[in-house]
Amino acid sequence: MFLNSRRIFLKTALFGGAVLVMYGATVFGAVSLMQTMALVQEDLFPHAKSLGIKTEAYLTLILNHSRVTPKEKDFLRNGVQWLNEEAVAMHKKMYSSLSENERQAVLKSIAKYKWGEEWIDKMLTFIMEATFSDEIYGICKNSAGTKWIQFEAGYPRPKEAYL
Amino acid sequence: MYDVCIIGSGAGGAPVAYELSHAGFSVIVLEKGKNYKEEDFNKDELAVCRRDFFTPNLTNEQHVINQRAEDGAISRHVGSENDWSFWNGSMVGGSSNLMSGYFHRMKPNDFKLLSVYGAIKGANVADWCISYEELEPYYEKAERIIGVSGEVVQHKFLEPRSTPNFPHAKLEESGVTKWFDRACASLNYESIPTPRAILPQAKEGRNGCSYSNFCGSYGCATGAKGSARAALLQKCDAKIVTEAFVYKLESDAKKITKAHYYDENLTSHAVEARIFVLAAQAMESSRLLLNSKNRHFPHGIANNSNQVGKNLIFSAGGSGSGRFNFEKLSQEQQKELMQTGVFFNRSLQQWYEYETGGKKRKGGTIDFLFEHQNIIPRVKREFYDDEENIIWGEALSNKIHKRLTTSRVLAFEVFNDWLPTDDCFVSVDDEIKDRFHMPVGVINLWGHKHDLEVGEYLAKRAVEVLKEMGAEEIHSSISSSPPPNLVAGGCRFGANPLTSVLDKNCKAHELENLYVTDASFMPTGGSVPYTWTIYANSFRVADIIKKHLA
Repeated sequence: MFLNSRRIFLKTALFGGAVLVMYGATVFGAVSLMQTMALVQEDLFPHAKSLGIKTEAYLTLILNHSRVTPKEKDFLRNGVQWLNEEAVAMHKKMYSSLSENERQAVLKSIAKYKWGEEWIDKMLTFIMEATFSDEIYGICKNSAGTKWIQFEAGYPRPKEAYL
Repeated sequence: MYDVCIIGSGAGGAPVAYELSHAGFSVIVLEKGKNYKEEDFNKDELAVCRRDFFTPNLTNEQHVINQRAEDGAISRHVGSENDWSFWNGSMVGGSSNLMSGYFHRMKPNDFKLLSVYGAIKGANVADWCISYEELEPYYEKAERIIGVSGEVVQHKFLEPRSTPNFPHAKLEESGVTKWFDRACASLNYESIPTPRAILPQAKEGRNGCSYSNFCGSYGCATGAKGSARAALLQKCDAKIVTEAFVYKLESDAKKITKAHYYDENLTSHAVEARIFVLAAQAMESSRLLLNSKNRHFPHGIANNSNQVGKNLIFSAGGSGSGRFNFEKLSQEQQKELMQTGVFFNRSLQQWYEYETGGKKRKGGTIDFLFEHQNIIPRVKREFYDDEENIIWGEALSNKIHKRLTTSRVLAFEVFNDWLPTDDCFVSVDDEIKDRFHMPVGVINLWGHKHDLEVGEYLAKRAVEVLKEMGAEEIHSSISSSPPPNLVAGGCRFGANPLTSVLDKNCKAHELENLYVTDASFMPTGGSVPYTWTIYANSFRVADIIKKHLA
């Protein structure tokens, strides 16, 4: 399984940086990209956690994938920054420091912007890819995602990870 | 020196390799992609469809797309910057590995569009220089060797056939086809079982269909799908060189002398042969010719009349769908609706020709199918509520669960002619090069408004059927968006060397030993998917090359 491989450790390091969050013209602080995105994923689709889906592990895999373009990666990084700037503007706190209700309010607020809607759409897409991924990737065990919607995946299933 | 060197191993190249190697000639096939076999294929949606495992990474290989607006303004799109891919499947067998295998023959009138329906302003409509009758034996040969399943039924536009039925019985069908047939009977429409290039039972080392769910966009793990690889290349001893990107053809004034290719390490090699057959897919074949300039052909090989790349066409039309919800269905119907694996093989060709305003018009084909089983696009569609606002949390999970477990979407695809015009063509870019340091192809796009009118007419008929079946949320979308998997033209054949690249035999007018056998030769595309016609024509040209070599 790829989760134990050294390759993935290196990948994690590549996307494991922080972004600076501005408040007006001054720096308010810094946040972890992966931690923010992982928390947003929980807020957007808590059902994944109840299904035992490792959405954060999937983020680690896909955000360093060669087929995810630099433009997409920049947009995801920028989204984390802008999300936090919205949180600071609304509550004077970083997104991760907010209560659940406050975080939902921030998400509803950014969903009104074109970038915010696209960013949420992107995050949801990665959650769904994780939820319905094949067991070979170690993200979703016992076909929990497909069983949830009584979906029969195609055959044969992969014998090795092509991603 | 080989007898024949074939560039590209898809539906255009493989029949030549199969026929010529069986006839005892030495054949080499140069294929850009890798060789995947049945055991390599699986239904990993994330790798195959979400991350395009079988096509080049756009940062390495791409196209530039020039879109022409109504006022003539051109907007330039670099493929890698816009995530716009025109690749279909770089591997032995090409995109035929990934096709759905909807197989229709062109009709006799498709070969004489200009004579039968007349000229259309702004379009370069031309008759073919062969007739349906000349190609019919090769349609029959293709359906026998590739393996086409179905059931011939009489209908208004059934093309003449030299055999009474398909060589293989039709595939197992969804119970919902009965609803479809009843709706068509009620509307007095002729429902036709869709022929498929899929074997229902094992044949000559290929297994029959396993009804494993999913088909189009995926390689077939049983070999039932009639890909050029499974049906032809694995059945002959032509030498196949994989990861061989042909970047230049070398010629003297009359003959191609060498094909130069790079291997995976970017080491250059050259192949000499008596005959060269180009079948790299319509856009890439034109690109190779345009990139192969020399003193005899300063504008590119076979291009002294400036016709290479011209009259690029796609399949015009679009798609639509309707949803069936459990609330309006009996338990038996619910069960029929949700049955997966079996096929929904139904088509309408009743309006292959129709009249409006007292004028006869060329129409097209409508294929019906359940929406693709790929789960991510189906789930993504539920991200928005009825007011088009994005939703998440419990609202989203409830919506996904309800929609995916208690409803299903039946879709249709419209195929009509994409009229050839001066504004739709292939060229090469002055700035951007691929990983082989060769200028990338430029796809100059323009769709004639006539195509949209025909597409809309056909889509309305399809919508009528969905309504009669009781579907809800019905919609259709006809546009000039080019389907990357349905592309032809660029090296049209014809009698006049000033207006065509190839002669009747698909040999370049200007060269004695260069044939082009992918869809490039087609001056018009008919109103059906192209693959069967590409196979048939390639078998026809194979017979011509045999005589050439004899």
